[in-house]
Amino acid sequence: MVISPLTRSLLGRLAVRRVDPITDPLERDLVEVLGRGRVEAGIGAQSLYSHDGSVTRGGRAGIVCFPESTAEVAACVSVSVSHGRPFVPRGAGTGLSGGAVPCDEPVMVVTTRMDVIHEVDVERRLAWVGPGVVNLDLSRHLEGTGLHFAPDPSSQQACTIGGNVATNSGGPHCLLYGVTSAHVLAVEVVLPDGEVVILGAEEGRAAGYDLRGAFVGGEGTLGIATRICVRLTEDPPEVATLLLDFDRVAGAADTVSAVIAAGIVPAALEIMDQRVIEAVEPFAHAGYPLDAAAVLIVELDGLPAGVATAIDRIEVIGTAHGARTVRVAADEDERTRIWKGRKSAFGAIAVIKPDYYLNDTVIPRTRLTEVLSRVYEVIEERDLIVMNVFHAGDGNLHPLIVFDAREPGVMERVLEAGEEIVRISVEAGGVLSGEHGIGLEKKRFMSMQFSPADLEAQDRLRRAFDVEGLANPAKVLPSGASCGHVTSLGRAPDGTWV
Amino acid sequence: MTPLGLDDESLAACVQCGLCLPHCPTYRVTGDERRSPRGRISLMRAVEWEGMTPDREWLDAMDTCVQCLGCVTACPSGVPYGDLIATTRVAVAQLRRPPLKLRAGLWCLGRPGLLRWVTTALAILQRLGLLRLAPRTMAAALPARLPLRRPRLSAAGCPPRSEVAPAAGDPPEVVLFTGCVMDAWQPEVHGAAEEVLTAIGVTVERSGDRAGCCGALHGHAGLESEARRHAERVISVLTGDRPVLVDSAGCGAALKDYGTLLQTPEARAFADRVYDIQEWLAADGRLVTLPSAGPENGPRESVIVQDPCHLRHAQGCHGAVRNVLAPYVDLVELDDEGLCCGAGGAFSLVQPGLAGDARDRKVAAVARATSRSGATTVVSANPGCALHLAAAGLHVRHPMEVLADACRRSETDSGPEGEGNEVSEHGR
Repeated sequence: MVISPLTRSLLGRLAVRRVDPITDPLERDLVEVLGRGRVEAGIGAQSLYSHDGSVTRGGRAGIVCFPESTAEVAACVSVSVSHGRPFVPRGAGTGLSGGAVPCDEPVMVVTTRMDVIHEVDVERRLAWVGPGVVNLDLSRHLEGTGLHFAPDPSSQQACTIGGNVATNSGGPHCLLYGVTSAHVLAVEVVLPDGEVVILGAEEGRAAGYDLRGAFVGGEGTLGIATRICVRLTEDPPEVATLLLDFDRVAGAADTVSAVIAAGIVPAALEIMDQRVIEAVEPFAHAGYPLDAAAVLIVELDGLPAGVATAIDRIEVIGTAHGARTVRVAADEDERTRIWKGRKSAFGAIAVIKPDYYLNDTVIPRTRLTEVLSRVYEVIEERDLIVMNVFHAGDGNLHPLIVFDAREPGVMERVLEAGEEIVRISVEAGGVLSGEHGIGLEKKRFMSMQFSPADLEAQDRLRRAFDVEGLANPAKVLPSGASCGHVTSLGRAPDGTWV
Repeated sequence: MTPLGLDDESLAACVQCGLCLPHCPTYRVTGDERRSPRGRISLMRAVEWEGMTPDREWLDAMDTCVQCLGCVTACPSGVPYGDLIATTRVAVAQLRRPPLKLRAGLWCLGRPGLLRWVTTALAILQRLGLLRLAPRTMAAALPARLPLRRPRLSAAGCPPRSEVAPAAGDPPEVVLFTGCVMDAWQPEVHGAAEEVLTAIGVTVERSGDRAGCCGALHGHAGLESEARRHAERVISVLTGDRPVLVDSAGCGAALKDYGTLLQTPEARAFADRVYDIQEWLAADGRLVTLPSAGPENGPRESVIVQDPCHLRHAQGCHGAVRNVLAPYVDLVELDDEGLCCGAGGAFSLVQPGLAGDARDRKVAAVARATSRSGATTVVSANPGCALHLAAAGLHVRHPMEVLADACRRSETDSGPEGEGNEVSEHGR
């Protein structure tokens, strides 16, 4: 069989397609680092990598790169910077604030191929993972060890841990366990000048300033995470999921405040209003009552005796605030379906309208009822539709405005309502974003919350990491370079929705 | 009409949330939006709504879809992606002819006599070791040991290669759809299906050469008129109102879709009497008459269940495989939520790189299941998946083969008065 490999190689040589020479020097240098197959400059790639999971639009992506190692990310960054080009890191593109939406044709550094779980240390309860590892894949991988990764954003089946770090993601269970930052022990980072450093430490905390803390939530403006050391959380010995349904949204909201006031901290407290219930029930078959104005999902975990007591107390509090029924999920299957409905909410809206604008603000829990009714008013005044689905325990609102972008004039009304909701939240003592980040979407609202001096201080931190201003520019801080493409449309100054 | 002829509301239904991404086999192995359902829909929109002219990159995005429909199951908004990609494939086939090797293969499928002749020729080449000279992708798509000639397998006295013609006496109760390539390459599966049906007292007739190929692969390739021609022929040959049982998930999905493909009342009526064989057996109930493999028959075998996409995502009857097998073997589940193995009909032939990478993930999932349970046999109710996985060294069997074993066991256990005595007359 001497002929076989020889024939094959001859045939292979003939089959090689003539490759076009690369004219763009930036592309040529990137190809030199990654090879042709992992550098894409076609119209298709540039168009697909121009958006994330939201309707936020900026400019167009430049060259799209798919590095597979820390060294390759560092090389992509160095090449971009040496050409004076900005770069934007991007994971699965499920973000909701345009953090990975490009402006001004940057080099897109896509981390989805860095999806290796490098090391799991069960004894020390930590794992080193690539930034492209899908959030849920890590917990699946840990099955049988008695450990899991606690941050569980609703997009956890698709979003990457690199993205979770960039936005400091939350999720239903962050009420008890804390947001992503509390679960990141250390990060290996490619800094905007191409240098590779490790921020934080596996054990305890690194000496000096907590730069790991500064980096988490940096939205790619401080560098690119290439390996992440995450804290693993012990699976609770007992979990109970309750579903309470109400005639009035206020009943659900008041129950949430009362539960916390009574000294109970559930693992999760989630509210969904009637429109959300209608949209997700046909997909999730969770048994949500379709005639309820709102349902409240309560998850309790801990030692069996404590969970049992808490169930009784929540039943009493819920009933006192108008709960019609209190159902405790009988088995794992019922639990899964209740959560499947909650976590599919934002993807299920096409049942009602083809576009959504998912806002994300935080308000003091005690003012839930009042702010929610203001949100409904704002929407009604503008003849729009809102679906409310949110992390009630954290006071983290997610008004989901649904619309059909093809309707003339609807965009302006959606924009206006979004801005009004942010204003109401901040005035109620809340903040701009709970977990989606500022990105392009919210940067124009930063001055609602921060004084010029605050913003200047944040800008100085950013420049300490990114001297040239090339790491995901035009994001987060209003003082950054603007997204020229959008400004020329004469609409919202930075970041708009189409 | 728009360039691709897509339904505007279906195209608008995607909200681009990205929850489909992890359920797409080609996105999973490339991490590239252009290899994802969300990306493909976005690119369809670019052509339909923004006047983009399809270029090589665009065609490549559409060509690399396995059409496994995993994204359809995952989509909370119910985007009919299957219809979108099918219609797009039709437009693409008109824009640019499918590759020659694919067209040649599909042409063969419609000619059962030729297909068997080619199979025998390939089997001889394989025995002589000469197939190793063939391109690796083609060799990998073939079974490890092609049959030299079709074994004499039959039930209820039907000669092999029987046409659909009523035998003397009562007409057989069901028709077993034998198709094209499966009939030529994996005749033992049809044999096992007949054996199981006969063992529980169901008389069977094979659809045979006159019904021939279902046209599923032609449809996947966007060759709509050829797919229609096959559908019309199958319907015209398989008349009557007897159930049509299918032991290939891909063919079953295609036959059930004839109503949508042809849009005639006749086609819809036909589609209504098509059943996946596991689905039919689970609903029929007679299967329980087989004595189950209890401790007295030695330890139960454990098998790993692999759901073919056309069973799980297209037909939604993957539960039936578990229902019919559970009394006889211990079932081990995979932990990959039914992610496609990359076989996809002719996909493994036209996109060998992606198909191989997708298979690597499946093989890894099988390895995890093996380390959990010790089971090494994989059951798959689709010939494409079976061939594709077997080429990676896995031991793959059809659920009907596992059940046929149970029949044979019951035959030896229960003696001449048992249900198995009918089988012994026709056994191999």
